[in-house]
Amino acid sequence: MSAWVAGDVTTAIVYPTRLRNLLKAATLLAAFSMLPQAALSQDDIVERGRYLTYAGGCISCHTEDVDDAVPLTGGRAMETPFGTFYSPNITPDRQTGIGAWSDEDFVNALHDGISPDGEHYFPSFPFTSYTGASREDMLAIKAYLFSLPPVSKESRDHDLAWYMSSRIAAGAWKALNFESARFVPNPDQDEQWNRGAYLVRHLGHCGECHSPRSTTGVIDADLEMAGSVLGDEKIPNITSHRTDGIGRWSASDIEYFLDIGMLPDGDFTGSSMVDVIEDNTSKLTREDRLAIAAYIKALPALESEED
Amino acid sequence: MQRKTTGAISALVISSALSFHAFADTTPEDAKDYRSAVMTSLRGHIGAASMIARGLVENDGHLVDHAKGLDAGAKELSRVFPKGSNVGETEALPLIWEEPEAFAEAVEKLQDATAAFVVAAESGDGEAISAAFRNVGMGCRGCHDRYRVSD
Repeated sequence: MSAWVAGDVTTAIVYPTRLRNLLKAATLLAAFSMLPQAALSQDDIVERGRYLTYAGGCISCHTEDVDDAVPLTGGRAMETPFGTFYSPNITPDRQTGIGAWSDEDFVNALHDGISPDGEHYFPSFPFTSYTGASREDMLAIKAYLFSLPPVSKESRDHDLAWYMSSRIAAGAWKALNFESARFVPNPDQDEQWNRGAYLVRHLGHCGECHSPRSTTGVIDADLEMAGSVLGDEKIPNITSHRTDGIGRWSASDIEYFLDIGMLPDGDFTGSSMVDVIEDNTSKLTREDRLAIAAYIKALPALESEED
Repeated sequence: MQRKTTGAISALVISSALSFHAFADTTPEDAKDYRSAVMTSLRGHIGAASMIARGLVENDGHLVDHAKGLDAGAKELSRVFPKGSNVGETEALPLIWEEPEAFAEAVEKLQDATAAFVVAAESGDGEAISAAFRNVGMGCRGCHDRYRVSD
């Protein structure tokens, strides 16, 4: 169990030295994730859900960007070319949060982008990535969220362009651009790469910010992870391109950046990635950060799009 | 109490025009370039120290040198933002001079962290070094979030 628990990660910079130990740990971790859920107690599931909530980046988006915000009560604004989206309250309050949701409701939302009332979500909610996550992991996240105190706070309506003002637009977008499918490990790659792929492409949904989108908001599959622009912030290319991307970074550089935010040249990022590091990647085990690093390092080198 | 006093003094230095006791002909450009050079030296020490803290390079005593370099550089930050040095290609945001006390406080947080990092480096204790180095990073980020141009 302990391999899953974020527990003591704050002091985890003292590294074990041998790579084979790491590989062994990664293999064990992967083996653990295959265990049937029935083998875990409810407490274990909640604890695992807590870890996965970090890994899924739920907190940074579902918490308002103000100093005294209550985590997961929603209200964070996301500016897009289609208007401003506001994240909803996902505490287990029955009226204003998700307290009345069944397991099926929760899984439908994350895997298929459908609300309990059968409405379509806009892809500002990254169900397009979460669709690859396992049902067990999703239900562990639900168990954790439902273990938290309910907070009554009405979710704010999105403020969208007229042509987006109907959920029908979201349904049409999904019909054209979305397929519900779980992650399947690639047998040609090792456990570490596969764990990284699962974290990067699905739970961690890195590509939702780091990939450019078309005018209709569809991620450009040919330029995955090759950088983007969000609002007035340039989101960097994280492919292995040596000048446009991060091809010069070692796996250790990537792991360390995700842990404490240091760039390989000794600078510290002040970008929106700070929230991702604080609420997501720094809370993961070092093994999981190394898996993310291994996957990212193996991304094909892509040039960034012209500005 | 002492902290408050130094904070007030730092704020005073930041808000006063070209506070270098350097040559009379130090221009705003010189002040800005000097600041940039100090920042580069901080980055260098941090990059090197991180490799030791990560265990990629053996700690044969050099960590203390980098820690002391960092601490000295961090102390300099109290005087490298003189009023009027917001010129040319600078990443420093005007907010630094609009709220000098808050800025001075943020700089002091880094200075406390670098002083603690020297103590940790001298102790040679790996866990203490890691924790102290992390705090140095938080100190850097504390200012870069609010007072530096983002890309």
